[in-house]
Amino acid sequence: MNIRIENLSFRYPNGVLALSGVSLEITPGEQVAIIGQNGAGKTTLVKHLNGLLLPTEGRVLIGDWDTRQFSVAKLARRVGYVFQNPDEQLFTKTVADEIGFGPRNLGYPNERIQTLVEDALQLTQLQGMRSMNPYDLSPTWRKMVAVASILAMDTPILVFDEPTTGQDAASVERLATIIAEMKRRGKTVLTITHDIDFCAENFQRVIVMGGGKVLLDGSAREVFGQEEVLAQTYVDPPQITRLGLRLGLAEVVCTPQEFLDVFERHCTA
Amino acid sequence: MPIVKLRQVTYHYPLTPTPALQDIDLDIEEGEFVAIIGPNGAGKSTLCYTLAGFIPHFYKGELHGTVEVDGDNAQHSNLSDWVMKVGLVFQNPFNQISGAKYTVFEEVAFGLENLGVPRAEIIRRVEEVLERIGIADLADRSPYSLSGGQQQRVALASILVMQPKVLVLDEPTSQMDPIGTREVFGAIRKMAEQGITVVMAEHKVEWIAQFADRVIALWEGKILLEGTPHQVLTDERLCEKGFGVSRYTTTARLAIPRSLWKKERPLPVTLEEAVAGFSDSLQTHRQEGRA
Amino acid sequence: MHERLSFYVKRESLLHQLNPLTKLTLIFGLLLPAFLIPFYWAPHLLLVLVVFPLAILGKVQREYFTATARLILPVAGFLFVMQALFLPGGRTILAKVWFLTLTQESLMLAFANAMRIMVMVSSFTLFMLSTHPSELMSDLTHRGLPGQFAYVIIATLQIIPQMQAKANTVIAAQRSRGLDTESSFIGRIRALVPLVGPLVFGSLVEVEERAIAIEARGFTSRRPKTSLHEINDRPLDKGIRWFLLIVMLASLLSRIWFS
Repeated sequence: MNIRIENLSFRYPNGVLALSGVSLEITPGEQVAIIGQNGAGKTTLVKHLNGLLLPTEGRVLIGDWDTRQFSVAKLARRVGYVFQNPDEQLFTKTVADEIGFGPRNLGYPNERIQTLVEDALQLTQLQGMRSMNPYDLSPTWRKMVAVASILAMDTPILVFDEPTTGQDAASVERLATIIAEMKRRGKTVLTITHDIDFCAENFQRVIVMGGGKVLLDGSAREVFGQEEVLAQTYVDPPQITRLGLRLGLAEVVCTPQEFLDVFERHCTA
Repeated sequence: MPIVKLRQVTYHYPLTPTPALQDIDLDIEEGEFVAIIGPNGAGKSTLCYTLAGFIPHFYKGELHGTVEVDGDNAQHSNLSDWVMKVGLVFQNPFNQISGAKYTVFEEVAFGLENLGVPRAEIIRRVEEVLERIGIADLADRSPYSLSGGQQQRVALASILVMQPKVLVLDEPTSQMDPIGTREVFGAIRKMAEQGITVVMAEHKVEWIAQFADRVIALWEGKILLEGTPHQVLTDERLCEKGFGVSRYTTTARLAIPRSLWKKERPLPVTLEEAVAGFSDSLQTHRQEGRA
Repeated sequence: MHERLSFYVKRESLLHQLNPLTKLTLIFGLLLPAFLIPFYWAPHLLLVLVVFPLAILGKVQREYFTATARLILPVAGFLFVMQALFLPGGRTILAKVWFLTLTQESLMLAFANAMRIMVMVSSFTLFMLSTHPSELMSDLTHRGLPGQFAYVIIATLQIIPQMQAKANTVIAAQRSRGLDTESSFIGRIRALVPLVGPLVFGSLVEVEERAIAIEARGFTSRRPKTSLHEINDRPLDKGIRWFLLIVMLASLLSRIWFS
């Protein structure tokens, strides 16, 4: 499902202009990371995708739906939004119930809900914890429950708000696997993240925001090679990219594999 | 004489059969900077709370073994006395704001008020600590108006002003954005340089490599590895067990079979080490190429 | 982030200079006369001749009148209407619509009661506008109130705006999971559990962390506490408190003797 953002501007009630003339198109199945310092407008932007915020100017189209004409609950069929803090949504007695909440709200038939819940449990490796109370789990696993409960809604578009904050390496690995699987299933995934390495390794397209505008928009390689612009937004390039730049490699690299391939060529050049 | 002595420390949270910490033996010398790494659930926070006295006084449960700081035993002390010895800063900066004070200056003074320090000395110590940490310009701001990185530094100042012997930090930057992370680590670095004993639980391997004198890797409540940052962070066992490994280390490891990193050379953990090592390989290849 | 999580407004005023305990006593010094003095016009006069001037004296008149318009008047107004229409025992009928009877007596009584409510809520509002929670806490603790008790008071004052901010996020999160908060009445009732649940549980987590944070700052220490700011307790304060005590006693006596 296509996402079209046309000349979007948004001003908060207190007068702050958080977004200024943002225009973007995201085609079905794209994996997009949105980065930039706090206050750049990242969260404000993605909140327009499921109607939590409505444009002051311009419009946002999710498929053929103009977000101004549909409620948040309706848009939840097309856009699944994983909030940063799982404690702001967990309330049921068991993990399985919690995961089923979203699909039940969307009115799916029981059989489908069952399948979706099973699938989500598997993807997040929560099968063994399905009958536990979400609040008995550690914060790391509560995050997985939050993710699972959005995955189970089976929306064509997924939005993650800072999924890796506070997570350990194993958990980040799990998230990377989930995103890869979503890609395989043809879903569009948007992620706001501060973890540049996570971004570089899992997302083909990177959008850098600053001051309510889009500063850079391109492939990870294109974006991370632009040192000056990145410096302005206080974004450090990924570790591997920095290594490549320091060694004077001809191409911008983002992952260990890329680095080694390019470095090898560099050595024999 | 180590300032921190843990002997055979084993701890069970209330109503939990599996121990969160098992047979921990640990000595920390005064002025050392010790980093604790491990997957979530390995016991990093538990260890931090044990050093800070909240286990067993706040969290109850069963604590066996001895926890000694500066000659005193944690289990036989009052928590309100213990907090003067061991300061604790944890992940969420917002939850560390007392909510009882109107400005940053007052917030930092709060601990000293509780301890009955005379007013003139409170003012002196607060001014000094705000300077040291670099937040003197925030003194009149409301703590709630600050960014995450600023709030966390206020939390740090609020604890340091009490002049604890040991400072314990439980993942202080995990909720920060990159700027906040830099600010907080900068402040911690200054503390470390001034000789305060620091114990810090962290995931961010690159920072640990720059600061820590020693690294302890926890796994399922036990000490898996202990040693210098280099020894621990390049150990193969970390990969198997799902610890975070620096990408520089991973890249170098993958480079060895392709002759792009010299086998004899220790694996890198930081950018500088990686640059040095790969430049070295590049030189060698170029020379061989000419030969 | 939130700039102000309490109602306190920092000003240089005579009201602000008063000791917190004095202002606390003032609340009761206004409340008791308003509710006890058997003179009909007592609450009205108290409001106009005492409360309003106090607001001006405290230089918080703008905040006070805003709060009045937004909160106090609607509540008092609602009570007024309800009482005017439903208080029994009136004889002089002014209007009658269906089963609702408006009598002169009920109208007058409702008016007086509304004024009483206004005096009560106004006195609390003035107190909160001119007293910083931490000063109140320090002062009460010095006078022997256990620290934990004082903290509960302060934390409760802070909790309202904090909870509101949290509530907004919870609502947004659950709406994003398809929870319909805009449909039928029944729908909205059913929506309460997924909204209140995370609010309560999430808050519990935060409360625990905050408890640890203040413990780490020696909050439960038995040592006598000192304070950064000098909290005055001038002879004027003591005098005012005695005066208010006499006023309260007089109100009580006037009730007993004259009604």
